[in-house]
Amino acid sequence: MTTWYRIIAGVTRTFSFKRGPVGCVALAVLFAACSSTMPPPNDEAVIGGGVTRHSLVFIIHGDGDYLYHNTLGEARRADEDILAQAQAIARKLPNAEVTIFHEIARRHVLFLIPRHDGRAFYYRQGKLLGKTSYWRDQGNSRFAPEADLYAKFADAQATSPVRMFLYFGHELPELNVQGYDASYPDRRVSVGDLAQGLSTFTGANDKFDLVVLGTCFGGTPHTIDALAPYARTIIASPGDLHLSYFDLEPLATLDIKRDDGAVTAFADRFARNAFDRLTRDVQTAVSVVVYDVNATQAFRAAVAEDYDRTLAMANGMPASVSHCDCADDPAYAHSEMSNGLTVLYRAPRFGRMKNDTHHSGWECWNTGDVQHADNPDNAGARP
Amino acid sequence: MFNTKKALHLLVVMGVLGWAGTAMSQDKVHNYLNDTSLKVKAATSPEQKREILSNSLAEMTRAIDTVKGAPLATDQDRANLDRLQVTLQEKSDELIGANGFDRVPDDQLNAFSTYVVQDMEQADKTITVSLVVALLIIIIIILIV
Repeated sequence: MTTWYRIIAGVTRTFSFKRGPVGCVALAVLFAACSSTMPPPNDEAVIGGGVTRHSLVFIIHGDGDYLYHNTLGEARRADEDILAQAQAIARKLPNAEVTIFHEIARRHVLFLIPRHDGRAFYYRQGKLLGKTSYWRDQGNSRFAPEADLYAKFADAQATSPVRMFLYFGHELPELNVQGYDASYPDRRVSVGDLAQGLSTFTGANDKFDLVVLGTCFGGTPHTIDALAPYARTIIASPGDLHLSYFDLEPLATLDIKRDDGAVTAFADRFARNAFDRLTRDVQTAVSVVVYDVNATQAFRAAVAEDYDRTLAMANGMPASVSHCDCADDPAYAHSEMSNGLTVLYRAPRFGRMKNDTHHSGWECWNTGDVQHADNPDNAGARP
Repeated sequence: MFNTKKALHLLVVMGVLGWAGTAMSQDKVHNYLNDTSLKVKAATSPEQKREILSNSLAEMTRAIDTVKGAPLATDQDRANLDRLQVTLQEKSDELIGANGFDRVPDDQLNAFSTYVVQDMEQADKTITVSLVVALLIIIIIILIV
């Protein structure tokens, strides 16, 4: 950043973040559009002394091309739509805290002065208790700004709430590549960054009960492996995912305890609802898979070396590589392939894959050696 | 003349806006395909629907072909454009039943037009092209239409 930029950024950031008076200058006052409201997180007079039984964290990536069209042909922004859904959910939940981060494109006032490129919203028991804007390029890791804000927001008095984390955006690269954030074209991002972010959100010795990955190609052995230390159950799409994402409606009536089976049952219900909505509206392929982290561990361990090898090959031929169902590659034909999966799959209505009836639930890289099985009844898991 | 003025105006605006121009250009491509889908659905006969789809895919393919030859397109641009072109060619092939595809039945042309749009609107890695290339695609489409 230029010196001038740093000065402006520092002034506006200071005004937005610090709770006490910090000697604001006139310029900072002028940009009070970056104001925040952040009541003390443990103020029981504000929150009414209720109990937090669910804790939801959303990170919504919007710094890129997220335009799509609904079934009426109306242009929509995927990040804005899922943000609105998340906020509506947050207002409906009486026993939850919901933290929402919306990562947006960096814009400038008068083409010169940068504005914050992240927005955070904190709800507890259905009430918006805090919102702020922030910079996404602070801290020593990709999701450090969000993790820092979450630490300020989170209800320290909550006793073992059911914890969920939901990420929506474009496919997170498995290799450390540039271009994911349009406003930071030189920044390298990978799914490893998300994993690192999850580790700071969960803290030591804890996991999210459910992680929902709303991106394309999230159901690969490598990605599930990366997130596994921080999640007990993961929902992801191993193939393409339309930008209308997963419907969040099941969260509106969230009322589960961390009993054996309760979170898994909810994950299955969430996945089924998302699948039904997508297949109703979308002509392209739809795949929604629930991964039991423990039950899939054996398969992931068995194929890790093969997958890493294809990933290295894919890194060397980015233009010609493509994705494929792992079941198409004999290297992944392990008896545990289907263990721990609930696979919901519908083939595209058109295209070369339209006659496929199954998907294994695992997505791999096709470096040219793998031929798509003509027999659509591939290794596939339970429908 | 009108199209040329419109294209030059767009070039200036997007050049000034910089990255915002790239986003707008990508949106223009999405909107172009969506407009095609809306026209297909509004058309009354299967022949009209096929003609609209065929012409639209051909125009986009021609625009990309022209841009690929531009000196300002980088190797990465050409690789990304190649992938996009393959995708569009497969749609054209399926429309007419060529290259191993079943011909799209008349009663599925509306759904196919939606499929063309939605196939471009996935939460995949963004196919990034340089601003110059994005602008050129749009300008050429405008000049062709």
